[in-house]
Amino acid sequence: MTRRILLRYSAEKAAEPVLASVIKETGVLVNILYADMDTKGGEILISVKDSDAERIFSALSKRGIEFQEIKDAIRVDWDSCVHCGACVSLCPTKALYLKEDASLGLDEQKCVLCEICVPACPVRALKIPRL
Amino acid sequence: MVKKTIEEINERIRRGDAVVVTAEEMVEIVKSKGAVAAAKEVDVVTTGTFGAMCSSGAWLNFGHADPPIKMQRVWLNDVEAYTGVAAVDAYIGAAQLSETRGFDYGGGHVIEDLVRGEEIHVRALAYGTDCYPRRELETTITIHDLNQAVLLNPRNAHQRYVAATNSRKETIYTYMGTLLPEFRNVTFAGTGELSPLNKDPTYRTIGTGTRIFIGGAQGYVVWEGTQHDPKRELGTLMTVGDLKEMSPRYLRGANIHRYGTSLFVGIGIPIPILDEDLARTAGRSNEEIKIDLLDYGVPRRDRPVLKQLTYAELWEGKIELNGREVPVSPLSSLKVAREIAEKLKELIERGEFSLTAPVRQLPVDMEFRPMKQPTRIITAGAVMTREVVVGRPEDPITKAARIFAEKNFDHLPIVDDENRVIGIVTSWDIAVSVGKGKQKLSEIMTRQVITAREDEPIDAVARKLDKFGISGVPVVDARGRLRGIVTSDDISKLIGGGRK
Ligand code: SF4
Ligand code: SF4
Repeated sequence: MTRRILLRYSAEKAAEPVLASVIKETGVLVNILYADMDTKGGEILISVKDSDAERIFSALSKRGIEFQEIKDAIRVDWDSCVHCGACVSLCPTKALYLKEDASLGLDEQKCVLCEICVPACPVRALKIPRL
Repeated sequence: MVKKTIEEINERIRRGDAVVVTAEEMVEIVKSKGAVAAAKEVDVVTTGTFGAMCSSGAWLNFGHADPPIKMQRVWLNDVEAYTGVAAVDAYIGAAQLSETRGFDYGGGHVIEDLVRGEEIHVRALAYGTDCYPRRELETTITIHDLNQAVLLNPRNAHQRYVAATNSRKETIYTYMGTLLPEFRNVTFAGTGELSPLNKDPTYRTIGTGTRIFIGGAQGYVVWEGTQHDPKRELGTLMTVGDLKEMSPRYLRGANIHRYGTSLFVGIGIPIPILDEDLARTAGRSNEEIKIDLLDYGVPRRDRPVLKQLTYAELWEGKIELNGREVPVSPLSSLKVAREIAEKLKELIERGEFSLTAPVRQLPVDMEFRPMKQPTRIITAGAVMTREVVVGRPEDPITKAARIFAEKNFDHLPIVDDENRVIGIVTSWDIAVSVGKGKQKLSEIMTRQVITAREDEPIDAVARKLDKFGISGVPVVDARGRLRGIVTSDDISKLIGGGRK
């Protein structure tokens, strides 16, 4: 099992090689699912093995990086979706995309549950998971 | 020269040996074999489109109540329908909003619910006459209780549409969907090479009386659609069909976020391939169909064209704009459009759908003209105050406090060396900064400044003030340099002063 962690960088932290040093320190293999960074800061979504998660958490805390574990993904009500694609260009991580056959695809691994797509769906087919 | 008639093609459909292909298949056939061979081989090309078409609605007839009523106003699930016709006829429009649920439910949803056979709550008011004494009515109906339920759409199946993006600093919510700030996404409508009117752009085979697939049933083209603009390849159709035969798979209520409600309508039109010319146009590919990318950040009728694109480029899912890769959303469903073209093909192959020749051609030479407006447009530049006191980021807060105290205003734009607006300070910012140990204006100014352009209509500026809950905006030129300021007072004076 892998776990997904969303890191939030302030402008100040964005200038430091935080992730590289975390990887170096822990020796953990980190998979970067999505990154949106500039000098003003940004976000990186990573996934790590379940057994490595605790070590990553403490290395991040030590460096003062804000992070959050993402445990779920947006739900698509496939009976409702009309595959119009209105949601895809709004999704920051490309978790929503159109497949070769023009139907909607959802890569749950990449979803950071930002919920931007939810109200933009004209047939209300995108739902926030209720835990 | 290949020459066929619609009668001949219908005869083949009856015999079950007509060659029917979808518009996408036709593109490939014409590409590989050429238009002449394609015209010989193919009898019918099926097209399809499935997108939100706001200019849609349905005529309903309720039958007479006892005692009878001449409906003056009527609501279906709290969505008002138009009854300015005879006693119990009403037109429910797709874009009409519910009076109780706002943007969440509208005419498009009522139409979908009718098609699904759901119960609909009906409420009507009347003034009462000698022949129609009743003044109020409340009942519940389903589509089966209606005498007629006829989908009659004033404008459907746009030949081509536009692509949209947004130059502003904030997200905007439009009929082209949600547009992120600073060109961060693009949306577009239409299905390109599958779209009916693109396949017969001079409307030789599509006109009044053409039988079409609409909402899952067989319907007809009534007339050209409103805003039909053939000279610019922006033709439209007015369509009709029996709502009672339709399916929610091809007719869906829609919410366009913070814009309104609409109706997804599925339309498929068969194009008989009578000769090479029709084979050629029916074989037009996405590469050949152009579409303008417009800046919806500009709140004017004539929005600037940023780029000319083709449907092929847009279907790639991303385009290049100002040196950046920008993600693209279609708003019409290619998947369902394909399904419609396939379905129509099957219906024709099975002999269940035959072709009709138009009994009246659609005009090819009319133009879509702008509204005749009695007023001239008032711009931000015309009402702004030009003498604006400004601050610099390094100025002390006390200076701003003094300015606010001396002069009777409460917005202080903060500018850089080139007079570009980089922040704004209001009297409120000063009030809340007291006792926080702050010194310079740069520490308290708002950096995300909402601005207006000189040529921006005052209605658009008023909408901005409203949307962001602010009381004034700096007016800037194309390079962000300060030209003046417009406040809500300026605007209310204008309205109070009688805008005629
Ligand atoms: S916006 Fe809604 S209907 Fe359209 S593709 Fe996305 S989930 Fe499906
Ligand atoms: S919630 Fe955000 S990340 Fe997840 S699919 Fe929607 S837009 Fe993409």
